Amino acid sequence: MVSPCLSQVVSSPCLVRHNAAMNDASTATSTSANSDGEPQSAAHQAVLKQLRSLLPESSVITDRSGLKPYETDGLTAIREMPWVVVLPETEAQVAAVVRCCAQHGVPVIARGAGTGLSGGARPHAQGVVLGLSKMAAIEEIDIDNRVARVQPGVRNLAISQAAQEYGLYYAPDPSSQIACSIGGNVAENAGGVHCLKYGLTVNNVLGVRVVLADGEIVELGGALYDNPGPDLLALLCGSEGMLGIVTQVTVALLPIPETKAVLLAGFAKVVDAGNAVADIIGSGIIPAGMEMMDKLAVQAAEAFAKAGYPLEAEAILIIELDGAEAELASLTDQVKALLQRNGAYQIDEAHDASTQARLWKGRKSAFPAVGRLSPDYLCMDGTIPRKALPGVLTEIDTISQRFGLAVANVFHAADGNLHPLVLFDANEPGQTDKAMAMGAKILEACVAAGGTITGEHGVGVEKLDTMCVQFTSAELEQFFRLKAAMDPQDILNPGKGIPTLTRCGELGGMHVHNGRLPFPDLERF
Amino acid sequence: MDQICSAAADKQKLLIQGHSSKRGWMTPARGDYVLDLTAHQGILQYQPEELVLTARAGTPIVEIEQTLAAQRQMLASEPPCLAGNPARSGTLGGAVASGLSGPGRPWLGAVRDGVLGVELINGKGEYLRFGGQVMKNVAGYDVSRLQAGAWGCLGVMSVISMRVQPWAETQCTLSAAMTAQAATALCAELGRRNLPITGSCWYLGVLYLRLAGNDSGVAAGIAALAAMGLAKTEAVPSLWQQLKNHEHRFFYRNENPHGDAGEGENRSGDADATRGSTLWRVITPPAAPQPEFLANPDQDLLMLWGGGLRWLYHHDAQAVKHYSQQVGGWCWALGDSLPVDPVSKRIMDQLGLAFDPDGVFAHPLDLGSTATPAQGGRG
Repeated sequence: MVSPCLSQVVSSPCLVRHNAAMNDASTATSTSANSDGEPQSAAHQAVLKQLRSLLPESSVITDRSGLKPYETDGLTAIREMPWVVVLPETEAQVAAVVRCCAQHGVPVIARGAGTGLSGGARPHAQGVVLGLSKMAAIEEIDIDNRVARVQPGVRNLAISQAAQEYGLYYAPDPSSQIACSIGGNVAENAGGVHCLKYGLTVNNVLGVRVVLADGEIVELGGALYDNPGPDLLALLCGSEGMLGIVTQVTVALLPIPETKAVLLAGFAKVVDAGNAVADIIGSGIIPAGMEMMDKLAVQAAEAFAKAGYPLEAEAILIIELDGAEAELASLTDQVKALLQRNGAYQIDEAHDASTQARLWKGRKSAFPAVGRLSPDYLCMDGTIPRKALPGVLTEIDTISQRFGLAVANVFHAADGNLHPLVLFDANEPGQTDKAMAMGAKILEACVAAGGTITGEHGVGVEKLDTMCVQFTSAELEQFFRLKAAMDPQDILNPGKGIPTLTRCGELGGMHVHNGRLPFPDLERF
Repeated sequence: MDQICSAAADKQKLLIQGHSSKRGWMTPARGDYVLDLTAHQGILQYQPEELVLTARAGTPIVEIEQTLAAQRQMLASEPPCLAGNPARSGTLGGAVASGLSGPGRPWLGAVRDGVLGVELINGKGEYLRFGGQVMKNVAGYDVSRLQAGAWGCLGVMSVISMRVQPWAETQCTLSAAMTAQAATALCAELGRRNLPITGSCWYLGVLYLRLAGNDSGVAAGIAALAAMGLAKTEAVPSLWQQLKNHEHRFFYRNENPHGDAGEGENRSGDADATRGSTLWRVITPPAAPQPEFLANPDQDLLMLWGGGLRWLYHHDAQAVKHYSQQVGGWCWALGDSLPVDPVSKRIMDQLGLAFDPDGVFAHPLDLGSTATPAQGGRG
């Protein structure tokens, strides 16, 4: 399903380095007693005046120190100081702000917790940052209908925490769940370790209220399992703030699994681990989570988290099984047998919460762990069909040797969502460009293997160029028409997500042809 | 694709057609020519351990089911194979376009949840690929899942990739007599527990539950539910199949079960039992109260999805609509246009133009409660 039209991908001029530490949620504190910064233009002054009339004083930030936390999101390499940030407290205020911006033709950049990894919440020089952090109320937990109605600023984990006393939880658990917001999850169609069994955000959201580009409010879905017409709710999930601003989410709640088992298996060969994954799925078992790490990632994680990982394994699998007590014992036995059949030389098993947490700790701290190995790293986000995993890993290894930069791999093994982490030192001349070129080559390899360039982090600004690789001009134009249908003025998060065709052409990232090209020769060194 | 381009050039309308298995469900679309997709069939790729099947849109669902069954797999959303003519009981494209999910929807997912990728031809005759063969795909807008429920108004689907699901090790059905009200209350309670339930149906005063999972899990589930008075039953051996395919006799009370739009006034077959009543598909929050106008629920009500889908017969459209709205749901009489609020309709119309700027495709998604009458051109 992917365009075979690959061509030379030039590194994106924006991305330089990915900070190893994940940003915490940045909430503004506009307590500065200084006078507000004066916006440059008359147009901005008019907008600011209107914003101040629409919102409480504490919801409009213009002073430099108050604005600073909003200049970036989880992709800290990309920064842009906004000239104003607003923090509405109600849906009506959100709509009023959007209407005001629409009137003046000013872009609106929605922002959840600012933990996104693709620069999707990067401010626009002319635009208004609209933060949803003040809309953080859990409005209702409806245990009979098994839904929670929450405001967009509610943290992902907070939903499960609130539902816990009723024996319910919210399944999608991106690794930033302690900080990320549910509104942001919708915008990015966030996944998480458990998405193999429980799905992505789109599979767990039953309704939203949205403020559209003209300030109109629409309610899609509800506590319902079915809705009429084309699935607008699905369209909104993953739309990265470009089609509307979510002001309420109705999420599905599931019964908390009675029990869990976590298995850790060590393999002497990467391909064996890949085969084990295929074997488990092929036998009709869908684990709650299945993660793989390669040797470099394991060693880094072990040094950081001391989880008891086998240091000499070429690859490890961490598998979580959950469900009712009655079903789990035979399920665990089945999986262990399959692991052994595929050459696992070591299998650890955890049934109590603290050991389970220890086994997971390494995987969950993989990113900061790898960040200790080198001054900088680039976190790639691609997805490939499961069966292509061993081949792509070999290709990544080849690319790594060709470029002379190390790469550690962590991934959601069960659906092939890859995070190759390219290690480099930005202070060394030329290494940044090399790292980015290498990252692009890795993503090309994913696309060539039948996958896609982003599994879960979104496109934002970071991956605009590689979008040119994955989509044809006709497809990109279709995206634009779709966007124009919902936001004719292009004021919602403009310049993100979908590259303009000129960008694709200018950077040499895409040869525009009428039909599809056969596979061009790959670059040779 | 040529057909589409020439239709655009001649300002004709093309009617996208598969098996027309759901013809009676919607207001009929009117086109000048038919774009017949039934020959466009065939499974292109299927690997069980990938949990993905890719097929051309004209592939019969029946064929897909057989192929999957041989590997002990299934389409999780259990789309209907509508009886009548078994050879034309529904295509993959039609299943996605109509977005009708099966009896396991709350537990196994909706049609939309199973769509991984779509290749489609828009109204400009362009061949476009969206999504892929993997579950996680946030590059670009989710055009693939948007197709679910679009009834063809956003282009012609050519190839579709669906996520598939392994069969459970074992399956059985339990039942117990109870009122509809008690059934929804029980389902709400059970929904908070770890039980291997994958389907529920209330009909004629009996609640049926489908259990599916591994042997030990199901055995434990049976024991737990036995304590609540539910026992194994073989009373209706192919109950879930019948429900999935709308073959269940509940749907056949009237002479024309799914209504033919042109024969609305003849919908009541039996004057005594039905008294001019229409079949309504009502979607509600699962724990919503029963409608008070249902004098005779045993005759007039079939509940699925733990209460989230209520098929009912009633003569008073206003009462049904009022009830649906009150409980936060919606209702649809088969053969009528889909009820969509004005703002959503505006979005859908605009999206339709985005995919079909020249209005080449005639589609039945006449959301016509608002001003502009659909005349064949676009407003």
